[in-house]
Amino acid sequence: MNELVLKIENLTKTYKLGKRDVQPLIDLNLEVRRGEFTAIMGPSGSGKTTLLNLIGCLDKPTSGSVLIDNIDIARLPESQLYKIRRDKIGFIFQNFNLLPYLNARENVELAMELAGKFKGQRKQRALELLATVGLSEREQHRPQRLSQGEQQRVAIARALANDPAIILADEPTGNLDKNSKQEIVKLLANLNQKQGATIIMVTHDEHIAASAERILFLSDGKIQEKQA
Amino acid sequence: MGILTRATRNIARRKTRALLVIVALSLALAMIVSIPPSITASQEATQKTIDNLTTAAKIVASTVNMAATQMDCNLPLTLRTDAGPYHNETTFERPLMNITEYSNLTYVQHVTYVVPVLEQRAYDWPYTVYGVPLDDATLLSSYPILLPANITAGRNLQAGDSGVVVLHERIANHFGVAVGETVNIFGRDFEVVGIEGQEALNTTYATMSLSDAQAITNTTGQASTFIVFADSVDNVYAVKEQIVGAYPKLTVTIAQTLLNQVYQMQRQTNEQLQQAHETMNQIESTGIVEMGIITIADSAIILFIMLYTVRERTKEIGTLKALGASNTTILGQFMLEGVLLSLIAGIVGIVIGIFGATSLANILLPQPITQTGIGITTSGSGTWGGSGSLTAASISVTITPELMLFGLGFSVLLGALGSLYPAWRAARIRPAEAMRYE
Ligand SMILES: Nc1ncnc2c1ncn2[C@@H]1O[C@H](COP(=O)(O)OP(=O)(O)OP(=O)(O)O)[C@@H](O)[C@H]1O
Ligand SMILES: [Mg+2]
Repeated sequence: MNELVLKIENLTKTYKLGKRDVQPLIDLNLEVRRGEFTAIMGPSGSGKTTLLNLIGCLDKPTSGSVLIDNIDIARLPESQLYKIRRDKIGFIFQNFNLLPYLNARENVELAMELAGKFKGQRKQRALELLATVGLSEREQHRPQRLSQGEQQRVAIARALANDPAIILADEPTGNLDKNSKQEIVKLLANLNQKQGATIIMVTHDEHIAASAERILFLSDGKIQEKQA
Repeated sequence: MGILTRATRNIARRKTRALLVIVALSLALAMIVSIPPSITASQEATQKTIDNLTTAAKIVASTVNMAATQMDCNLPLTLRTDAGPYHNETTFERPLMNITEYSNLTYVQHVTYVVPVLEQRAYDWPYTVYGVPLDDATLLSSYPILLPANITAGRNLQAGDSGVVVLHERIANHFGVAVGETVNIFGRDFEVVGIEGQEALNTTYATMSLSDAQAITNTTGQASTFIVFADSVDNVYAVKEQIVGAYPKLTVTIAQTLLNQVYQMQRQTNEQLQQAHETMNQIESTGIVEMGIITIADSAIILFIMLYTVRERTKEIGTLKALGASNTTILGQFMLEGVLLSLIAGIVGIVIGIFGATSLANILLPQPITQTGIGITTSGSGTWGGSGSLTAASISVTITPELMLFGLGFSVLLGALGSLYPAWRAARIRPAEAMRYE
């Protein structure tokens, strides 16, 4: 059995909305091993994005602990958190979030530049990653000249750039047409199988979720494992 | 593809906005680089005026004061009746005074010189013999007004002269003599050394040494007038009072008009000096206030444009943070954009300044004042001084390399100042919220 890359214990997140509290996550527990491809499903508003944001250090838990590679990120200050985001996490968003003024290669390089990698090294790896996602030809194109599926593939290349411990994908196929959906899911499954990438993917789509080896349901603030 | 590239591309991406901001900022920065040299140029122009005024005031003081400190002391005119060829003729006559009797005049306080002169009319043709003491070189150089003023031929009288005469041109014409020739006056021959030209107010004098004049008119030891000089225009009245007190019979005539004029000129000069100094201070304070306003307005423009940019790019900031950008990186990115924008405007502003600094200076600052001219007129009866009027002058300004550097530095500073708060806001954006922002 592979080692644990993520261990969540008694995680609670409470949002204050005026006088009312919204509590999407209550005493949630979850373990993910290195190399696992996990899909998280659940009704709208059940707290899926909230969970990914907490794992990705974009938000702070109200209570409980989140251990990534045995580091409890719940207790880290912002001055340390950005390094976790940079070195341990790769994000894939529903609407790609590429920087419009950078071309495909530069968008991939950006993640490495923030990590302080040298220019030659950066470019080399960016080209390799674009080849991996099948976009060698599109290196110089800015996002607006790429199709949505292509944009998401650039985003995937970007997420892989710093060799993260976990790839977090929040509805990566949510904005794509049927064909692109299939391509992206195939690409993610491939990365998992061939390169051993650890992926946690949120989706509404059962067919998409089916390509993951493990499917979780989030409801009432807790995780339920779907038994195969 | 570093932070600088990102900043440049972001500016280039919003061309119209960048252009508008750069136009506004560059005009302001052109003013910023034009104001300091304009202040210097204006102040230099004004300082020159002040220097001119001061020099003019000094010249006026020496020449006009000389005439204005002069007073004539005479005995009152008396009537004299003589038998003429057809009837008795009555004339006014100036009684003569024995010089030694008035020796105490020299001791009157504030008196610098007492100069006895002799005026005797010739009856064969109406001209006047005028005797001036020529034995004191210092006196003559301090008070040149004692001698004829308008020599048109030959030379003037000088210390030590004797047996020579300077003739008014009408007398020379009457006798038909020229410089170097001899003329007979009151039965004695004199060499004509100079001719005095006709002027509006001068009298037809044959001017010679006092002792010669006394000798030919048999009036040795006597004078018709004591010319007394006070040490300053302010003491003229005091001197007059003392003389009248000591010699009640004497009539003391002061150069009243001239005195008034000197007083007025002193007042005027002081006013003009004050005005020039005020202008100088005003130029500086206006310039400083304007630079302050422009600085504030400039940073405000950058502040608002960068606040808008940060708001507009909230999602991008969220993405950058998700990718692992530190708060410092975000802060740096947005400050760099503000500084870059301001720097471009600074360069454009300097170019505008190079061509338009002079026009800008004339629009922005009070005009420095210069003097139109100072005039001193010398006439037979004295020296008249008058200072010209003060007028506004335009200046010309050039932008030096130092000023260009200053302009660039200033625009960087403005950019940093204006974008500090927006960049700080950007750095503080919470990533989870930024990702939800649409
Ligand atoms: N910043 C916030 N402030 C207040 N409430 C919030 C905030 N973020 C999320 N919520 C609330 O928390 C709950 C969970 O939201 P979340 O976005 O995690 O749901 P989700 O499962 O991702 O939904 P969807 O499938 O629609 O994306 C929702 O009720 C949402 O309104
Ligand atoms: Mg969601």
